[in-house]
Amino acid sequence: MSGNDFIALSPLLLLTGSSVLIMLLIALKLSHRNIQLSSLLLFILAFFSLFYEPDVSPHHIEPLLVVDRFAVFIMGLIIFSGLVVNILSYIYFEEKEEGPKEYYVLLFLCTLGACVLATSKHFISLFLGLEILTVGLYALIAYLKARHHNIEAGIKYLVLAAFSSAFLLFGMALIYLQTGSMEFSIIGRSLHSLPSLPPLFLTGLGMMLVGVGFKLAVVPFHMWTADVYQGAPTPVTSFIATVSKGGVIAVLLRFFIVIDGFRFSPLMLMLMSIAIASMIVGNLLALQQKNVKRILAYSSIAHLGYLLVALIPGSVMSIQAVSFYLAAYFITILTAFGIMTILSTKENDAEDIESYKALFWKHPLLACIFSAALLSLAGIPLTAGFVGKFFILAASLQAGFWMIAFVLVIGSVIGLYYYLRIISKMFSGRGGVPRKEQRSHPVFYLVSVIVLSLLTLFIIWFGVYPSGLIYFVDYFRLNM
Amino acid sequence: MDYLLWLIPAFPLVGFIVLALLGKHLSRFWIAIIGAGSVSLSAILTFVIGFSFLSSTPTGGHYSQTLWTWLEVAAFNPKITLYLDALSLVFVFVITFIGALIHIYSVAFMAADKDYARFFACMNLFVFSMLLLVLADNLLLLYLGWEGVGLCSYLLIGFWYENPTNGYAARKAFIITRLGDTAMAIGLFVIFYQFGTLVIPDILALAPSTWHEGATIATVAALLLLAGGIGKSAQLPLQTWLPDAMAGPSPVSALIHAATMVTAGVYLIARMHVIFQLSPIVQMIVAGIGAATLLIAGFSALTQYDIKRVLAYSTISQIGYMFLALGLGAWTAAIFHFMIHAFFKALLFLAAGAVIEALNHEHNMFKMGGLKNKLPVIFWTFLIGSASLAALPIISAGFYSKDQILWYAWASEHGSPILWLIALLGAFITAAYTTRMMVLTFWGDAKTSVGHYPGKLMTIPLIVLAFFSLFAGFIELPHNFGQFTLFSNLLHQVLPETVLKAGIHGELLFQLLALLVTFGGIYLAYIFWYKQPQRIEKLKRSAPLMSLYRFWFSGWGFDQVYQVLFVKPIVFIANINKNDVVDKLYQGITTATVHLYRLLSFTQSGSLRWYIIGLVIGAILILSIQLML
Repeated sequence: MSGNDFIALSPLLLLTGSSVLIMLLIALKLSHRNIQLSSLLLFILAFFSLFYEPDVSPHHIEPLLVVDRFAVFIMGLIIFSGLVVNILSYIYFEEKEEGPKEYYVLLFLCTLGACVLATSKHFISLFLGLEILTVGLYALIAYLKARHHNIEAGIKYLVLAAFSSAFLLFGMALIYLQTGSMEFSIIGRSLHSLPSLPPLFLTGLGMMLVGVGFKLAVVPFHMWTADVYQGAPTPVTSFIATVSKGGVIAVLLRFFIVIDGFRFSPLMLMLMSIAIASMIVGNLLALQQKNVKRILAYSSIAHLGYLLVALIPGSVMSIQAVSFYLAAYFITILTAFGIMTILSTKENDAEDIESYKALFWKHPLLACIFSAALLSLAGIPLTAGFVGKFFILAASLQAGFWMIAFVLVIGSVIGLYYYLRIISKMFSGRGGVPRKEQRSHPVFYLVSVIVLSLLTLFIIWFGVYPSGLIYFVDYFRLNM
Repeated sequence: MDYLLWLIPAFPLVGFIVLALLGKHLSRFWIAIIGAGSVSLSAILTFVIGFSFLSSTPTGGHYSQTLWTWLEVAAFNPKITLYLDALSLVFVFVITFIGALIHIYSVAFMAADKDYARFFACMNLFVFSMLLLVLADNLLLLYLGWEGVGLCSYLLIGFWYENPTNGYAARKAFIITRLGDTAMAIGLFVIFYQFGTLVIPDILALAPSTWHEGATIATVAALLLLAGGIGKSAQLPLQTWLPDAMAGPSPVSALIHAATMVTAGVYLIARMHVIFQLSPIVQMIVAGIGAATLLIAGFSALTQYDIKRVLAYSTISQIGYMFLALGLGAWTAAIFHFMIHAFFKALLFLAAGAVIEALNHEHNMFKMGGLKNKLPVIFWTFLIGSASLAALPIISAGFYSKDQILWYAWASEHGSPILWLIALLGAFITAAYTTRMMVLTFWGDAKTSVGHYPGKLMTIPLIVLAFFSLFAGFIELPHNFGQFTLFSNLLHQVLPETVLKAGIHGELLFQLLALLVTFGGIYLAYIFWYKQPQRIEKLKRSAPLMSLYRFWFSGWGFDQVYQVLFVKPIVFIANINKNDVVDKLYQGITTATVHLYRLLSFTQSGSLRWYIIGLVIGAILILSIQLML
């Protein structure tokens, strides 16, 4: 490896080093606060190392990894999400009885796994990244072992993830059997001259889709989502909703672009049916839920369906749409779960919809932030979510996919109902005079609220002035 | 200079955001500084930009500043662009300058109100929306401002929401203007469909070559825009909301329901004048609506006893004059009357507010009286405002603006003796009800004692407005007073000149007639309500006259007619259709989705075995679909 390789890989190396460093700091018996602060610093460092990526992109580190602009963009989103989750975690875990320090080590490892996914161009690195991410998540989900939901969620995730990984591996093996390589570009070249896909390859791809579909929680591999979202500690839930999905979407997009999979109609038909099923089932399942975490879990199924809709045309615009939607979705979902984290108490997570009653009269700022995030998820104009959805619709209509666009609209209409239900709950009733609460961690509370306010500002900013982000997304587009 | 343009609407927007977010935590002093200060800064900036605009007209006759493109999809790329030409400059000047004076007045007027911050937040939001409306370079942005001012009007009419009638008035205003707004939105669709753009200068340039004069589509578009205009500007037949809108605080009436928002319709028609010119029928309708409205509202104003309702009807009537002028093709005359009207009507509303407050919230003019010596500043400024409203010749600004419209009603290409007679009769009534209001309020015996006296913050804006109500008319003199036409010269950069009929003379004769009519009106009111009030009593004994009086008092029975024609049938249908038939369809959809939800919920059993089976089934499905196709 040359010096340039090291520079290109510096974010990954930094994340790896950080996890080791934090482990050493824990051995030195530093307090939770110091561990949190140093991991925050390391996250910031990793984030800024992205700015020093050599611009001679794409930079290949043969045969496993490639660092191009798109990878940098996705890594940026992933590390930024890790950073936000890290900030929001302090109060949440400080309140709990378990020793919270090792949590940060796992956070770094999972972020690393997702970043490897974003840069991978080979089945080996894909699988390695996926497993680094998943194994870390097992522990994160079950972190608060005293709560029985946590262990249950962790076990469920463990069994199902292992099961689906088996599918994934078997699918890779079949494709290897057919093409003789595990590198995306060589696979693509071997398919280049073929008018249709050989059955062995198709079977392999189908098996792989089971594994990928499980990670993305699209229908019909979605059933774990609600249980795991609900059972996991809230910061971890926001991590699953953003980081783990973003990495997988990135590698999926890269794989399809490199092998030029968009020209094979059976593949597209399958993706389309998955997208349609996800949009309908996800939105319907969320309809009458009383648990806000479960609502967001089901809505995430629908949102991943929307992302697939963006991906299906395989045009330049659809890649932009995926990137834009991903960015908008990350910011929004981090904000929503952030509010939930802040409102959680030692005993209970703020997940029952009743606990949001009259929130506006008690904490007007938090209620406004949460409303903005929910409106953005619903795709109301002047929020980032609207522009994202508009982009997706434009991309799919441009390519003539009327059917899925239509389902997307129907799904959004159904979705509006449960988002508005939460909002109306927050504004209903009268809380009287807001009472002054004694916060146990005023500084961190303030920092968390400021971070969430900034994210809300982004949500509205990208809705009113999307050109900035569109330009950015276009610059960091995946080359076809 | 154009790069500073964005700051004009930005100041009030920032003021709104700060007050809305932090209003609860700020002291009254700071609320006043932010609320009135933001608009004052805009006014100062408008002076600076306006000065540079006037001293050297920019190339193309406008400043424009593109802030950003909102979305860019195929041909649809709405830009956030501000556009300042002579027409918008007049409006921006009125909005910021009079707006600033009204804000300063409000600092004292609202001082005792518990919702001080909410008041200023809404007012700032209003000023921002109104500025957006007149500075927008495309109809989409204009529509955003249009809806924004409607929302603020609703919020401010219902400002004292504890009283249910105020809430009712606010809803009435919102719903009735919504009728016009909807028509206008459809008009925008028609325009976009026809031209593929919503950028106003492009539309105005394209329209004459795309549509020939009198084309049906031009008529449709113009009619739809006109419907939007009459809703906002309270013209026949959508005028009924404005008198009830007086439920809001007096500064709100002055700013929104006299000086600015209600003239948005005038702005829209003047801005889109090319489309109206392409449809002579619609232009005739505009003139007809204006003429009818000015008469109907004038008669109603003559019978009111609530001082603010007199002013409300008078506003409807004066906007009727502006519509008449627009319909006559006297574009600059309409805008001139808009500006002068903004000065004196804002003055009258603010002065009336001061009177009402001084008399402990007494609105009834018949319980006022004798205030001439008790409230001298209010008296003198109110007198000047009234003189301008009554168009007292030579010395008042209102004379110069109204005289122009009267002249064009006769002499312009579209003018006719009937329109002229109506406008003249309107002038007579205006003089009469203005004198009646003046006499009842300030002369005669004091019937209510003065509670407290207005402070400097309230009187200074009155004096400034009074100054303009007297002297602003001198920037545009009638043709036979020497060719001094500063105002119309400026506006002719944007608006076409008025075409006169050939061979029309005798402007002086018409002016003398107008003078006679004005003094006639004043004299009549003087006799009836001051000198010999017993005559009124005598008239009141006659039954037919009394019913006519009641008819006028109720605003020509429009509310009752609408009650019978629209409200009652709808309520009736709503009652017999309690279990809505159409709703069944939607309920069916709801029930179906809920059932689907229940059905799907069964799959969420929480059992791991079941989840694995789900995974396997999914895998089988995928593989079989793939291999079969």
